[in-house]
Amino acid sequence: MKTRIESLIATATFVGLITGCATTAPTQLVEARNSYAASSTGLAAKLTPTELYDAKKVLDKANTEFAQHGDTLVCRDYSYIAQRKLELADVKARTEQDRQTIAEAVKAGVVVRDSQVKSSRAALATTREQLKDERRESAKTAEQLETEKQARLTAEAKLAGAMKDLAAIAAIKEEARGLVITLSGSVLFASNKFALLNTAMTKLDQVAVALQAQDSDRRMIVEGHTDSQGSDRINQPLSLNRANAVRDYLVNHGVDGNKISAVGMGSSRPIVDNKNAENRADNRRVEIIIQPSQLTTR
Amino acid sequence: MKNLMMSLAVLGLGACASAPISPDRLEHSEESIRGAEEIGALNVPAAKLHLQLAKDQTETANKMASQGDERAILVMARAESDAELALGLAREVAVHSDALKATEDLKAVRARGNP
Repeated sequence: MKTRIESLIATATFVGLITGCATTAPTQLVEARNSYAASSTGLAAKLTPTELYDAKKVLDKANTEFAQHGDTLVCRDYSYIAQRKLELADVKARTEQDRQTIAEAVKAGVVVRDSQVKSSRAALATTREQLKDERRESAKTAEQLETEKQARLTAEAKLAGAMKDLAAIAAIKEEARGLVITLSGSVLFASNKFALLNTAMTKLDQVAVALQAQDSDRRMIVEGHTDSQGSDRINQPLSLNRANAVRDYLVNHGVDGNKISAVGMGSSRPIVDNKNAENRADNRRVEIIIQPSQLTTR
Repeated sequence: MKNLMMSLAVLGLGACASAPISPDRLEHSEESIRGAEEIGALNVPAAKLHLQLAKDQTETANKMASQGDERAILVMARAESDAELALGLAREVAVHSDALKATEDLKAVRARGNP
């Protein structure tokens, strides 16, 4: 019995000694363990595993030292070093992450710039094509303008020639109402008749040529005039019929019928008094008024 | 003593019987401190603290070594770990600044592409 009691006491003493030796872990070791627990599941485990492993080896030494000798200075030194190495592993992990961010940003920047360069080149190519098209159009327009200019010069030359020819057979005068071509009635018609004389036709042919050479937008009026001999009842229709005869002839010889009209003025607009035969002959006339260009009078 | 020597071996630290700190060891520690200072550790508060700890512990380790204290080599290892951490912290600040700039530059490039 005594032996058993002694044995219990010895056991209790041993346990007491063991318990006494198993002191509380130093703060440095606890912190290092906690840091390792956090780092081993964080960024360091992924990006700096080697540094984390180095820290773990030192932490293991601290744990071994503590298990074997308790809270010693050596244990604290290892814990301290382990803690610093764990912090360094985290710092290097964050740095590595930043480096990856830089690399990705640079790579993305290159992609964006490449894309922008491609877009710019495409836009440049399009602009060049547009420029080529515009140059072609411009050349075409210049060619058309030159053609039109030549046509215009030709038309003007033709008009000048026609007007010169016309001046030999008719009086031509520029008035406010337009260019007035006056043909003597006696050259065109027999007395009191409105059928054109054969000799008149040659002259009207020249008139037709001159009228066709005019600008296409100019309207024309054929006015028939008589002297004051006879009554208006006779003179008015006679002047209209004569104007119509001239208009019809001109239309039949190429003048645009939509642009030429006829009107009978009777004896209402003499150019000289009707006192003598010569004056009355002057008053018997047909006037063709070429009105000013619609384009230039707008 | 045997345990300490074995432990130091894990850290890659060699020690003779009188536990002197080898010139190479001291030089390595001083290089780490200089490197940290060169990349601007003194301008980063946390790095500056660890740099100071490294300097103080280096001095302590040298004194301990001169007195034949075996623990000198572990204190020197502590100094090195502080110096390396200071270096890492200073480098982190510089790289982080570059990362922010790279991100801003990318934003600017993208913005230029999409006016």
